[in-house]
Amino acid sequence: MTTASAATPSPAAADDLGGGAGTALAPPSAPSAPSMWRRKPGGWLAVLPLLLFIAVAFGLPALAIAIGAFTTTDDAPGGAQWTTGNLSLSVHGAYFTALMGSVKLSALTALLGVVLGLPLAQAVVTSRFRALREAVLAASGVLANFGGVPLAFAFVATLGNSGELTKLFHLGDHGWSLYTFSGLTLVYLYFLVPLMVLTITPALEGLRVQWREAAQNNGATARQYWLHVALPVLAPSLLGGFVLLFGSAFAAYATAAAMVGSSVPLITLQIADALSGNVLVGQGNVALALSLDMILIAGLVMAVYVPLQRRSARWLR
Amino acid sequence: MTATATEASAVRDAGGATVEFRGLRRVFGTTTALDGLDLTIRPGELVALLGPSGCGKTTALRIVAGFEQPDAGQVLVDGEDVTGVPAHRRNAGMVFQSYSLFPHLSAADNVAFGLRMRGVGTAARRKRATELLELVGLPEHGDRFPHQLSGGQQQRIALARALALEPKVLLLDEPLSALDAKVRVTLRDEIRRLQLELGITTLFVTHDQEEALSTADRVAVMHGGRLEQCAPPAELYDTPATAFVAEFVGTMNRIPGRTGNDGTVEVLGRRLPSRGEARPDTGVDALVRPEALDVTPGGDARVVTASFHGAVTRLTLALADGTTLKADVPSHRAPELPAGAAVTVGLPDRPVLVDDRTA
Amino acid sequence: MAAITATTAKPKNRPRYWRGIVAVVAGLYFLGPLVVSVIFTVDVPNQGFTLSAYTGILGAAGFLSSLRLTLELAVATIVVVLLLLVPAMIAVRLSAPRLRTLIEIVCSLPLVVPAVALTAGIVSVLRWGPTTLARTPLYETILQIQNPSFPVVLVLAYVLMALPLAYRTLDAGLRALDLVTLVEAARNCGASPARAVLRVVLPNLRGALLNTAFLTLALVLGEYTVASILGFTPFAVWIVGIGGSQAQMSVAVSVLSLVLTWVLLLILAAAGRGPSFRTSSRKLKVKETS
Repeated sequence: MTTASAATPSPAAADDLGGGAGTALAPPSAPSAPSMWRRKPGGWLAVLPLLLFIAVAFGLPALAIAIGAFTTTDDAPGGAQWTTGNLSLSVHGAYFTALMGSVKLSALTALLGVVLGLPLAQAVVTSRFRALREAVLAASGVLANFGGVPLAFAFVATLGNSGELTKLFHLGDHGWSLYTFSGLTLVYLYFLVPLMVLTITPALEGLRVQWREAAQNNGATARQYWLHVALPVLAPSLLGGFVLLFGSAFAAYATAAAMVGSSVPLITLQIADALSGNVLVGQGNVALALSLDMILIAGLVMAVYVPLQRRSARWLR
Repeated sequence: MTATATEASAVRDAGGATVEFRGLRRVFGTTTALDGLDLTIRPGELVALLGPSGCGKTTALRIVAGFEQPDAGQVLVDGEDVTGVPAHRRNAGMVFQSYSLFPHLSAADNVAFGLRMRGVGTAARRKRATELLELVGLPEHGDRFPHQLSGGQQQRIALARALALEPKVLLLDEPLSALDAKVRVTLRDEIRRLQLELGITTLFVTHDQEEALSTADRVAVMHGGRLEQCAPPAELYDTPATAFVAEFVGTMNRIPGRTGNDGTVEVLGRRLPSRGEARPDTGVDALVRPEALDVTPGGDARVVTASFHGAVTRLTLALADGTTLKADVPSHRAPELPAGAAVTVGLPDRPVLVDDRTA
Repeated sequence: MAAITATTAKPKNRPRYWRGIVAVVAGLYFLGPLVVSVIFTVDVPNQGFTLSAYTGILGAAGFLSSLRLTLELAVATIVVVLLLLVPAMIAVRLSAPRLRTLIEIVCSLPLVVPAVALTAGIVSVLRWGPTTLARTPLYETILQIQNPSFPVVLVLAYVLMALPLAYRTLDAGLRALDLVTLVEAARNCGASPARAVLRVVLPNLRGALLNTAFLTLALVLGEYTVASILGFTPFAVWIVGIGGSQAQMSVAVSVLSLVLTWVLLLILAAAGRGPSFRTSSRKLKVKETS
């Protein structure tokens, strides 16, 4: 004897009865265990070490920057006193050049990273081979973090003055040098493009097939779909990715330090240089002022990034 | 109502088209989604494609929309083969299961999307979007974004968007399955009302038989990539062509019986004309609906349980040979048939559908 | 419909050249430098093929000591990160939900301060030692945390730098658990709150804990900025140090360290097989690439 689900002609009253029973049998409201816990101070006690650690390890250096950026060092004529000289120094002359150099390099590499990372991520996301997708994403995870020293040396060995490709194609004769703005751009993309792939992949995966099909169904060509649906939907993620890449490139130090020394003016290099004591007497705190500049820009970057992230999360839920 | 009628006339010009499936085949890897589907949908008709998941109903719909290509066979719209036409040039509006609205566009912009793709001017687009929003009963919601709309409202907007380009065919891919029961019924009736007003040929894919039987002109039951039966709801329910249809639609009892040599079957002590394919003189199952069984007090069958369903009470019965049956009796008769009562089960004087015995 | 004429072209079968082009260009760009680096290390001018760059690493002055220092720093950093974060994050979910936003903000703060800026702040705090704090017991502490054989100050900096990433990884792990129900079920079976956390919550968090540990390890292994400016010599600083005199060997060590990172991530993938790994591989993006 076989039965299928309820037949149409069977009375709908069953639904009403079911609904009534469901309400009556609704599970009792959440048990009171959490509220019992809440009365104990355990929560605060467990959080306290973390807050103390941050207060000391993060608070003190932050305080030092905040104070130092606005005071002169002891070796200045007249001893330590309040000043805005450090900050104004940090946005003038060689320091300003370095700040602008960092901003330009970060903006350019972030833009290229977005433009190159998007098609790569799309190729990965739409790939039929699951293993390839996983491999590329795992590799991106490594490469996005492969910044710093090993990356610098790999490029020096490849395209440096005595690098293999430089020698093979006599690139030096054509005016190529890795230790320039464009050389650094090429190197930075090595970790920024994978970073973009990691950032944009969830958004691309969030693009629903129904949207493409609905667009087609409404007469949109593939180009129109990208122009009117996919790119606008991705826009917050793309902007967010740009901002994240910018911040990452802006904060990068090790790659540039290990590779170009100080032949390309960058703010991170200037700070390190100033910290090593390569400053005029009385300007010891300019490194702190430069750090404050960086923090302000990084803070701005986060302030742009977080709302964009929120919006795209809402769209691509 | 008159207002709706005038609005509807703006869309009616689209008219209905004939849609024909001819020997459609589609294989995905090892699974055969469509195994030679033949079906003709008449102009202005609403046909529900009904079947268990994996029966190929969605594939058939997606082939009409141009999202899938058949391995063999053709789809004809008004006699013209559209199999090779790319999806964006087919004149078929589609409503998806859910979440198909563009999240960055307002409801009105979603509705007008297709017009924008055609290069229609802003003013004309806005006018048409307003018309369509009124048509689906959401004139105030044009400025809302999809995430500000309920599931039912989203599907109404999706319906308006599907109708915006005055398609000749409307394709509904389980548009109600993600909604709550109440909204589902309201929207189902609304879709049917609109469809009748516009006279648009409509294909409605669903796995919910109640939905199919209550909305469609004809229901096409599919199984394993083939069409089992395509008939009006009542015919499908009363005289199912195959055992699959009989058991998929509604509740069905299997009662052991034996076929005779003269196209009859002996079941529950009676000899009745038989329908369906069965060899003569073999043990078969007779397929009988619960409400067709006649239950009277006294006899060698027993009532096992009785469950109240409102107007009727469903009895679970055990025959003397151990067979379990379900029978629906009017609830006012239930007191004389309590659990444990001895009863007799009778059959109506009608030909019965027989099928090879299972188990 | 009249406009539609039947064409035989099947849209699905159109080859997608762009995908191939993207794959080739990306492959060349990303694999090229690695392959060439390996060639560079085994193809020494005037010597031809040699593996001396690799065989010499073990005997190179400072290799073992810098590697040991880095590993010690990594272990210390991982322990501190987990000890600080895990109790706090569990407690926040179980008994102090109002603190959750505070913890999230606090753990994201280091993202706003680039490593170089953090170092500048640390340098200036450390300078307070000989100047303002010279006569107080704190001076001794400040000297102690700069002990070159085990600079605690680096651990402090690394913990800070690891916090945002560690927080997100653990948060993803906790999100997958219904912590309150889990603990209630354990307590319903007679476990004390401490036992419930130790025996039920932590085993369920194993994947997230491993992820956090590995990611922190990877961060410490590659860290150069803070250590070099503060004048300590862990692994990454050592590589740059020998780069001037032994180019082949420095590239060889770079290649090896990349392989090491890769192996770590593969272990991570194997250990956290399932959804947790994908989450964490995406969270990698937050890591600062200095």
